[in-house]
Amino acid sequence: MTKIFDNISLYLSFLKASLKEMLIYRFDCIVGMISQIVTQLVEIIFIWIVFQNTDNLAGWNFMQILLLYGVTLISIGISDFCFDALYDIGPKYIRNGEFDKILLRPVHPLISIIGSSKEFTSLGYFGLGLFLTIIMLIKLSIPITIILILKIIFFSIVGAAIIGAINTIFSIASFWTYRSNEVIWSFYRMYTFAQYPLDIYNKFIRILITVILPFAFVAYYPTMNYLGMDSNMIYIAPIIMIILWVIAIKIWNFALKKYRSTGT
Amino acid sequence: MPIIEVKDLVKTYKIIEKEDGIKGYFKNLIKPKYNEITAVNGINFNIEEGELVGYIGENGAGKSTTIKMLTGLLTPTSGKVVVNGIVPNEKRIENNKNIGAVFGQKTQLWWDLPVIESFRLIKKMYKIPENEYRNNLKNFSKILDLDDLLEKQVKNLSLGQKMRCEIAATFLHNPKIVYLDEPTIGLDVFVKEKIRKFIKDINKEKKTTVVLTTHDLNDIEDVCDRIILLDKGKIIFDGEKQKFKDTYGKYVIAEFIISSKNKNVCDLNNATILEENEKSLKIKFLHDETTIVKLINEISNYCTINDIHIKEAGLEEILKEIYKGAHKC
Repeated sequence: MTKIFDNISLYLSFLKASLKEMLIYRFDCIVGMISQIVTQLVEIIFIWIVFQNTDNLAGWNFMQILLLYGVTLISIGISDFCFDALYDIGPKYIRNGEFDKILLRPVHPLISIIGSSKEFTSLGYFGLGLFLTIIMLIKLSIPITIILILKIIFFSIVGAAIIGAINTIFSIASFWTYRSNEVIWSFYRMYTFAQYPLDIYNKFIRILITVILPFAFVAYYPTMNYLGMDSNMIYIAPIIMIILWVIAIKIWNFALKKYRSTGT
Repeated sequence: MPIIEVKDLVKTYKIIEKEDGIKGYFKNLIKPKYNEITAVNGINFNIEEGELVGYIGENGAGKSTTIKMLTGLLTPTSGKVVVNGIVPNEKRIENNKNIGAVFGQKTQLWWDLPVIESFRLIKKMYKIPENEYRNNLKNFSKILDLDDLLEKQVKNLSLGQKMRCEIAATFLHNPKIVYLDEPTIGLDVFVKEKIRKFIKDINKEKKTTVVLTTHDLNDIEDVCDRIILLDKGKIIFDGEKQKFKDTYGKYVIAEFIISSKNKNVCDLNNATILEENEKSLKIKFLHDETTIVKLINEISNYCTINDIHIKEAGLEEILKEIYKGAHKC
């Protein structure tokens, strides 16, 4: 247990260091943040256009969909912030031989790598998500209680950790291809499915985002719970998170061992 | 009990054989042909605590592969490596606590941060006790002259400044063993000297074991007591530096400054001509076979000798000879 706390504390120190590094490029940060918000606004306009033609999607109205959208963005913001450097493993670390330097530290390489995340701009997602969530909760006249706030904080972090674990699992592609960032990205983007009610999808996609890549636990089930729709599925999310991380670390260690014996 | 124990160590790589042209490329993609390359071929050595070992050889001799196996970055194909009682590739993180390493120009410092921040992170990573950290920092700053550098961003440092910080960072946690792979590459003489002095000082004070690979043989001459020479994955010499010179370098190099040459010197008894032009003549010979006096007599038949420089063969000349010999067969 102390080992876990040690690792978390080290990870936070690394993250702090990379934030300091990032803050040197303040202008880039601001540009990045604004462009992220613009991208999301385009998608929101698209949803709005859809709702010009219909007044509900599988029983969800415009504001409920936007709440779901906001809750997703909060988790996405946190996970991009915390785990962004996973995308760098192939193109940056392994390609340049920087990975050796990380393997020489008395720390698990995953801690070093995710600790070097510098996606400060994801605060744009986070901010927009928070804004949407609060506005929609008010508009939908859902009482904002302390319990609801704690729930949102807790399950947003769990959601971010779920995304992080899924990205970590696919980041092992880095050991075989320098273009691993694209591999991770293609799976990661499937979170988009979970930004709409599950009922609009066929069986295959439903199984995909609940069982295979459980993105539905990031925001969909939590939002159903916040909306007071019948759902206890939200309470499975932390268990899913733990299972995913155990798998991620096991699979990562296995890939690492293989990598070191080939020495490519 | 040696601190580093290497027994029958072998590493082979599988390399895809490249074929020419687009057709060959696609053929490779579908059914690659593998070639096996033996980088390290059954080497044995023991290193005791506190030794300063020069690990040398040409490019591709297998030096880096060995170092990578000693640090646990690579898993050996066969054979045994034990470092400080640990098998590095099985307990890599455990092993990392005892070692420090510098790999050429790759920096372990945080590029955009002031040097001191990197040191603080290293302190945290290795759990260095506060007083130990302060003592080392003070001591290292003095020898390596770091005081003005600590607050500067790493990216703004010159190569020499960066390497000084790098070396300090490597020794900060009092590692038992340090691997230095080309630590002085591209540095000027003053920085080189500082770094060499630092290594020697720390070794004396803390009995740190150092394994140094370099192409600058002055590093070895100045720092190391023992030489391990590697060629094509095999050790061809392992012993004290002086013994190395005695075994391979009994010859002497003499440079004659000459004038009014009447014809080219083409043949000398028991000596080889290395370089010859109008103003100078460089030869080498063995003490057992001839003497400088005999040679002066011979050479004065061809020209007037104005001056003579004599020096014993240094590591560099010796190595050149060994490599030449090795390549003949």
